[in-house]
Amino acid sequence: MKATNRRAFLRQLGISAAALPLIAGLPGLNASSSAKPRQRMIFMFSPNGTVPNHYWPDEAGADYKFKRILAPLEPFRDRTLVIKGLCNKVRGDGDGHMRGMSCLLTGIELFPGNIQGGSDTPAGWASGPSIDQELKQFLQSQPETRTRFGSLELGVAVPNRADPWTRWTYAGPNQPVAPVSDPYQVFEKLYGQMQDRENLGSILDDLRTDLKTVAGKLGREDKALLDKHATFVREMETELRDTARQKLAKPAPVLPPGISADNDDMPRSAAMQMDLLVNAFANDMARIGSLQFTNSVGNARMRWLGIEEGHHGISHDPDLNEPSQEKLLKINVWFAQQLAMLAKKLAETPEPGGSGSMLDHTTIVWTNELGKGNSHTLDNIPFVLVGGGLGFKSGRSLQEKLTPHNRLWLAVAHAFGHRLKTFGSSKLCEAGPLGLS
Amino acid sequence: MRFLVTIASCLALGVVAISCTSRQGGSGDTASLDGAKIYRDQCVRCHGGKGEGVAGKHDETLHGEKSVEALARLITRTMPEDRDDKTRPEEARAVAEYLHGAFYSPAARARNNPAKVEFARLTNRQYRESVADLIAGFRTVRQAKQGGGLAAEYFSSEGMNKKKAKVLERTDRSVAFDFREGAPEKGITPDQFSIAWNGSLLVPQTGTYEFRVTTPNGARLYFNTDLAAGDNNTRDDSDAKRQASLIDLWVSSGGTVREGSAELFLLGGRSYPLRLDYFKFKEKTASVKLEWKQPHGVWQVIPADALSPERSSMTTVVATQFPADDSSVGYERGTSISKAWHEATTKAAVEVAGELISRLNLLTKTDSKSTNRAAALREFCTSFAERAFRRPLSPDLRTAIVDSHFADGVALETAVKRSLLLVLTSPRFLYPDTPGATDDHSIASRLALALWDSLPDQALREAAAKGEVRTAEQVRLHAARMVKDSRTRAKVGEFFHQWLRFDEAEALSKDRKAYPDFDGAVQADLRKSLEKFVDHVVWSDASDYRQLLQADYLFLNERLAKFYGVTGPKGDDFESVKFDPAQRAGIFTHPFLLAALSYHRSTSPIHRGVFLTRNVFGRFLKPPPMAIEFMDDRFDPSLTMREKVTELTSKPNCMGCHVTINPLGFSLEAYDAVGRFRTTDNKKPVNAVSEYTAVDGTKVKLSGPRDLADLAVNSVDARRGFVRQLFQQTAKQAPAAYGPDTLAQLDQTFASSGQNIRSLVVEVAVTSALHGKPIQVASKP
Repeated sequence: MKATNRRAFLRQLGISAAALPLIAGLPGLNASSSAKPRQRMIFMFSPNGTVPNHYWPDEAGADYKFKRILAPLEPFRDRTLVIKGLCNKVRGDGDGHMRGMSCLLTGIELFPGNIQGGSDTPAGWASGPSIDQELKQFLQSQPETRTRFGSLELGVAVPNRADPWTRWTYAGPNQPVAPVSDPYQVFEKLYGQMQDRENLGSILDDLRTDLKTVAGKLGREDKALLDKHATFVREMETELRDTARQKLAKPAPVLPPGISADNDDMPRSAAMQMDLLVNAFANDMARIGSLQFTNSVGNARMRWLGIEEGHHGISHDPDLNEPSQEKLLKINVWFAQQLAMLAKKLAETPEPGGSGSMLDHTTIVWTNELGKGNSHTLDNIPFVLVGGGLGFKSGRSLQEKLTPHNRLWLAVAHAFGHRLKTFGSSKLCEAGPLGLS
Repeated sequence: MRFLVTIASCLALGVVAISCTSRQGGSGDTASLDGAKIYRDQCVRCHGGKGEGVAGKHDETLHGEKSVEALARLITRTMPEDRDDKTRPEEARAVAEYLHGAFYSPAARARNNPAKVEFARLTNRQYRESVADLIAGFRTVRQAKQGGGLAAEYFSSEGMNKKKAKVLERTDRSVAFDFREGAPEKGITPDQFSIAWNGSLLVPQTGTYEFRVTTPNGARLYFNTDLAAGDNNTRDDSDAKRQASLIDLWVSSGGTVREGSAELFLLGGRSYPLRLDYFKFKEKTASVKLEWKQPHGVWQVIPADALSPERSSMTTVVATQFPADDSSVGYERGTSISKAWHEATTKAAVEVAGELISRLNLLTKTDSKSTNRAAALREFCTSFAERAFRRPLSPDLRTAIVDSHFADGVALETAVKRSLLLVLTSPRFLYPDTPGATDDHSIASRLALALWDSLPDQALREAAAKGEVRTAEQVRLHAARMVKDSRTRAKVGEFFHQWLRFDEAEALSKDRKAYPDFDGAVQADLRKSLEKFVDHVVWSDASDYRQLLQADYLFLNERLAKFYGVTGPKGDDFESVKFDPAQRAGIFTHPFLLAALSYHRSTSPIHRGVFLTRNVFGRFLKPPPMAIEFMDDRFDPSLTMREKVTELTSKPNCMGCHVTINPLGFSLEAYDAVGRFRTTDNKKPVNAVSEYTAVDGTKVKLSGPRDLADLAVNSVDARRGFVRQLFQQTAKQAPAAYGPDTLAQLDQTFASSGQNIRSLVVEVAVTSALHGKPIQVASKP
């Protein structure tokens, strides 16, 4: 890594857009003019496995019933695709949580390293890119799908430390991408300049008065310098007025003030992050997004659900511990509600410059680093897809048999027209992309 | 070989070509000749009525520092240029007398164009320093003072618990350890352990610094941040909140040695909090190294004198780039503005306001849930404006700058941001001084600018509010306190950088064949060596200007001692090494300057001579009428450098200046292009004997550097030149702007203080703060 200054170093964390010109030349402020329908994808993560009995539909095929965890998806039943039987078969260094997290979107082994989990050997970073970054690079490589950011990596209460438990998206081997958990920072990145221009515009009258007052106290020669200054202020006002004419397809969201990126504000910051993501998509600033709730081994304390204990702690309790199972269930229902909220926001937004809603052009996949918390299994990892961005046949429940999840990512890449032969560990791709159309 | 360096080889000392023909009979009586009339009749057509020149004929302005006698001699010898029959001596003398008094001499010019205090914006340096102090002042400011290393804590680890047991606490002078396969110390588990280094980085000078951490294990470097709860984490999977690290190499991946680097612009004279967290977990080997590259430096392990175990508060450094300040008159000043500058100030305002908003809770000790939030934020904005404007707000101004933004329907943070933006773009902040103002706050503001390039601190603000920054005694008392601050040290350091042409010496590198051992490390050490010398002299008790010129010692480390062939200290630390007084005399013979003022392969008596003429002897040189390239291969290969320069500058119109430049430069010919003492040049004995002509025409024989040093020490012009240059760089104004006798008075005070540089800095600051009210008594800080 190499940061060139404090700003650049913040920017590497995805925080600031200060390097862009303040007034003129906003790249991608307006939607691209491409006539082709847009395809988008959002990767959503929650940790510590699921409660399988309450998650998987008993039935396969179109005629299936949601169980308690997926019940919030009922309004989107016909656009939902539940896939059971996908397994993270990547082996090698790292404990189940680490591989569960850092191999989830990469499908490839971790490098040996110094991060020690609760079991197994220590490990380092993933040795290849994640599917979201692979897609981003593919879309950014073509003018008709290129956008201002390509992708947005958002988090909800992700701790500020970088290790294989906190990173699931990778730009390449040893290149984890940090998610931003603070919605205000995301706002700054997306709309900071606009906001700055608005604020600057709002003070110019006061500034002109101030210049006049101060100039009044000076001699003729000295005053000339401030007169020149006033000319620059006038020119800036004209430039601000000109840029203000550029219109967004969807205006920037108005964020409530004072929300922290910490545990207790998770419900509020999650909603804000979703608004920002949908808004950025509507303005075609990016076509790939990720939304990472906490981290692998995440220990959210969902007090708003009446649960004081940490999520990871509860996930270790045995199946027979009914109170714990009930809490785990509630936690997973809450995550499903977040997914439903995101789908709803997309469904309620008409596709800019296209037909239908944004959900018709966007697919959300919700997944997890484990199949089940107390066994740490990487088999039967929850995968549920909502939305029509990929053209997969939805409104059904699939039951695969111990299929490497690499094949799902291959299918996703093909749906974007990116015809990869393999993705991640090649030996896990031998059977080709999963047939989902 | 051919040098592609175009040199300023022909510097006109004022008069170059006065075409003044006079044919007024043969009387030898000067008194009966009317110089004004001769000038009007004969000279005006080319030189203009006031010596301003005439386009197409002669466009040089007639001004300089020659005496009437010297001028007369020059006119007799050279005027008119195109005729063989030159002006008669008595006519030349009459004309010389006239033009010297009318417009040629410095005194005449000062009378014709009286200097005044110029209205100016903050220079870029003043802007950055002011913002840093403006923000820092809202929290407790802690600056680390003493170097010596970092506080280190060593722990045995167990799995995820990196700090299972603290085994050792000590101060480590620097971080460069290779533990191989073992433990750092007895009692620490060799396969897994962690170390936390804590303290501050002491940054001597402003500029761009690079940092590098190298390890096959895990490490995080936190730099210039507030401390957060999780920064001192025990478990590496802890979710405790922590700051973003500058360099994150926490995860070792792939079993190789990795390095992470970062580049930061930092303000000198300040310390920055630093923490390096390091751990080994079952990798085969353990090592860790923390290095930096200072401005103009090479990569090196950060030395102990730049590291302190004390923890300091963070400093906000504006990252926005500003267009360079006008330094055409020898010092940076803010007397002009441009659109690019206006854009930069606007952008910087946005940057600074954003930074403040992100730390608003910390700065106001409130959060969104606090009941007193709105009041606290208004209070913060008011204080911010008062400190930025360097004076209290009137009720009307408070309404306009603060209250009017806190309207219904505007989020509190937005209101704060708008108020801050207005303050930071206001002329009240950007143009710090109203010339002529005599109130306490104006005086306090000027004093802080002169000594720190920054804002008044709390003590000065409070004194100004009480009306106690008014008399020379009051101001001097504050100045004596403030001069001890490391910010003054940094500012004075910058003056010496400018005076000693540090920045022109970017390319110190020499021909590798001729000087194979003169590598980047030697060059960086040389720079350090001169800095240490200046620092030593200026901040010693005597702070004696004469020491700068006469000292017979250099600061050397092992590498430099070896290169310059003397017995010296071992290791990287510098120590004072005494030389034969005939061989070394203060800055004149410091190898950094000698090398900087040399060509790639050979010495350059012209560069050395120009530096001495202008910077040391304080004499005025006009730019050369034409640039002449020094081409080594044009000369007879058997000539010495002195012979070549003599040949190159032998024309009369060159000698106008080179009569001064060359002898000074030749007196340093006993030092080669890397500053080593030598006795031969081009296989012939070095001739360092020369004759210098002073402003008043007296001639002095120079037989080497010691004579040069003695000459400078005894020269009032040299000393005044030093005072003038220090004044300009400190006050960003010309001394004459504070009255025609300012320079002479300051020089008098300086001389009677034992030529104490620190006292001079105080007196200059006092003079500029009080806008030239008479100096009453000298003081020593």
